[in-house]
Amino acid sequence: MSELTQIGSINERPRIPTRDEVELNFSDKAITELEALKTHYPELKACILPTLWIAQREYGGFLSGEAIAEVAYRLQRSYAEVEGVATFYSMYNTAHKPGKHKIELCTCLSCHLCGTYRLRDFLKEKLGIGHGETTADGLFTVEEVECLDACDRAPVIQVGDTYHGPVDEGYLSKLIDDLRANPESTVVKMADEMVKVHIRASER
Amino acid sequence: MAERKLLFEHTHDPAFRTLDGYKATGGYQALEKAIKMDRQAVIDEVKASGLRGRGGAGFPTWIKWNGIPKDKKTTHYVLCNADEGEPGTFKDKQLMETCPFLLVEGMTIAGHATNADQGFIYIRGEFIDAARALRSAIDEAYAAGLLGKNIMGTGWNFDLDIHLGAGSYECGEESALMSSLMGERGMPRLKFPHAPLPTVAGLWERPTLINNVETYCCAPFIIKNGGEWYASLGASTKNSRGTKIFSVSGHVNKPGNFEIEFGTPLKELLEMAGGVKGGKLKACVPGGSSVPIITAEDVDRAIIGYEEMSEVKSMVGSGGCMFLNEHTCIVTFIWRTALFYANESCGKCTPCREGTRWMLQILDRIRRGNGQKGDIELLKDICSQIDGRSFCGLGDAAAWPVAAALRVFPHEFEYFIENGKSMVESEPTLAMAP
Ligand SMILES: Cc1cc2nc3c(=O)[nH]c(=O)nc-3n(C[C@H](O)[C@H](O)[C@H](O)COP(=O)(O)O)c2cc1C
Ligand code: SF4
Ligand code: FES
Repeated sequence: MSELTQIGSINERPRIPTRDEVELNFSDKAITELEALKTHYPELKACILPTLWIAQREYGGFLSGEAIAEVAYRLQRSYAEVEGVATFYSMYNTAHKPGKHKIELCTCLSCHLCGTYRLRDFLKEKLGIGHGETTADGLFTVEEVECLDACDRAPVIQVGDTYHGPVDEGYLSKLIDDLRANPESTVVKMADEMVKVHIRASER
Repeated sequence: MAERKLLFEHTHDPAFRTLDGYKATGGYQALEKAIKMDRQAVIDEVKASGLRGRGGAGFPTWIKWNGIPKDKKTTHYVLCNADEGEPGTFKDKQLMETCPFLLVEGMTIAGHATNADQGFIYIRGEFIDAARALRSAIDEAYAAGLLGKNIMGTGWNFDLDIHLGAGSYECGEESALMSSLMGERGMPRLKFPHAPLPTVAGLWERPTLINNVETYCCAPFIIKNGGEWYASLGASTKNSRGTKIFSVSGHVNKPGNFEIEFGTPLKELLEMAGGVKGGKLKACVPGGSSVPIITAEDVDRAIIGYEEMSEVKSMVGSGGCMFLNEHTCIVTFIWRTALFYANESCGKCTPCREGTRWMLQILDRIRRGNGQKGDIELLKDICSQIDGRSFCGLGDAAAWPVAAALRVFPHEFEYFIENGKSMVESEPTLAMAP
C-alpha cells in the first residue's frame, strides 16, 4: 500500500482516493449497513462516524491506513479528512492495533476518590502494561479513560460493551481469567454493537 | 423533603421499557393530546411549566421551542444531547436505559411543536446499553405508527435516528455536537450573535432544536398534566420549576440518582445518598466537575435551585453531585479535575488549549512537592485569562473549579507549596496518582 502514504501528502491537496489505491474489504453485511446509513442523513459526510465503526469491526478492531482509505473511498471524502476525524475521537483505535480485549479503566474524579489508581497499579502488576499498552500476546490493552458516567459504581471499568463496577483486585483477576477464555474479541463485538444500534428495524 | 419521583417513577420496572408496559402507565397519552393541539399551544404549555434546560445551562426551554421558524421553508430537526460526559453525572444514562420511551415520546412532542421532519439522538459512544434500549424503543414505536409516516393518522411524518459519538467530552457542547453529527471533528462552531442561532441555522444550516435528555423527558408530563401543574413543583424557589435528577457519587454510602423537587436542601440530598462515607464531610461539587466546589458549611445551607445555588457561589449544573470526605486532598482532587479538562480540550482556541495544560503543569508540580512561590497567583491569573476568553464553554468550565478551590481552600494549596506535601495526613481512599 505504498500509494497510501502519498494520499494527502504535502505535495498534493487532500483528495479522494481512487479505486486502484484502495483495497475493498467491507463484507456484504457492512455494505448493506452503509447503504441504510446513507438514507439517514442529507449528505454523505455525516456517515463518517458510523462508517468508521463499521470499518473498526471489519478490520478486526483497528483503523489501519487501509481501513481509513476504504472509508474515504466509499464516502467520497479525502483520506486526510477521514483520518483527521478518526484521530479526534478516543474510541477509534488509530494509534496501534489493540489487544483482543481493551480494559478501559476510569481514573476520573469519582473513581479517583474511590481508589482507582490502586487498580491501575494492580493491572500493571498483573498484565505488565500501563496506559495505552498492549500485552505481547496481543490479548489485552489497558487504557485510562475519563469519566464513564457511571460514578455510582466507582471504580468503574469498561470492557467492550460491558461496564463493571465497583471493581476491586479480586474482581479484576477473575475478569481477566474469563477474558482469556473468551474466544471472541470484545473490541470487535463492541464495534458491531455500535453499528447495529444505528440501523432501523425496517433496514435489517 | 424526600425524593419526588416523576421521571423515575417506573425506573425499576422492566416492563416500562416496552411499549405495552409504557402505555399501561399512561404513556403516549401526552402525544395523543399534543398532536391534537395547535403547535403554539404546546409551546405555551412548556412556557407555563417554567421548564429550564437540564443539560447544564438552565436556559428556558420554551424560548428554544418558540425560536424555530413558524413558516416552514425547509427541513426542521429535533436533536437530543445525550452525550452526557460531565464527570459526576449519570442521570441521562439511567433515563435512557430504563425510561427510553419517555425520551422518544418527549422528542416526538417537540417534533410536533416545531414541525420537524427528523430527530437525532446523539449518544456518547460508551453508552451502548442506553443506545440498545433506545433502539428497541424506537423500533417498537415505528411498528406501532408512533414514528415514521402518518403518525397517529395525522399525516405528519417524523423519523427518529440514533447517532453515536466516539469518545469526546467536547461533543456535549451543542455546536460541537452538531459538527460531530455532520461527520467532523467535535469542534464548536461560531455562536450567536456572530452566527445565527441553531434554531435558525443548526444541523446542515437548517432550523434545529437541541435539548438535553432530561429536558425532553419532562415534556410528556407537562403536556399530560398541564404546564401550570408542573410549575407547582419547586414553587418555593425563585425561578426553578419541576424536578431535577441529581447523580450523587464520591464518598457517600448509597451513591445513585435521586430525583428531587427544586427547593430541596442540599443536605437532604446527602441524606438520601446515605450520608458521608469514611469520615466527616469536607466539601461538595454539587453540579458536575465544572461547577465551583463548596465547603461542608455551605452544604448545610444550600438550597437546590438555579438562583439559590448562587448564594453559595456554585451552580445546579448538570446535577452531578460529588461529596468529598475529610481525608480528601483538595489539591490532588483539583489536579485530577484539571487533567480532565486538559485531556478534553478540543484544541481549537488558544486560551483553553494552552491554559488547561499550564494549569495542569502547575498543579502537577505542586502535587509532586515542587510547588513554587507565586504558583497560586499564577494559577489565578491563568484562570482569569481562560474564563470568558475561550471559544466555547469548556474553557470557562476548566477555569471555574480551579478558581473556586483556590478561593475556598487556599490554605491547602499554601501548605502543599510550603511543605511539599499534602496537609491531609491520612488518605485511605485516595491512592497517590502518577
Ligand atoms: C464543554 C461542554 C460540555 C457539555 N456537555 C453536555 C452534555 O454532556 N449534555 C448536555 O445535555 N449538555 C451539555 N452541554 C450543554 C449544551 O451545550 C447545551 O447547553 C444543552 O445541550 C442544551 O440543552 P438544554 O437546554 O436542554 O439543557 C455542554 C456544554 C459544554 C460547554
Ligand atoms: S474552549 Fe476552545 S479549545 Fe477549549 S474546547 Fe472550547 S473551542 Fe476547544
Ligand atoms: S468518575 Fe469514573 S465513572 Fe465517573
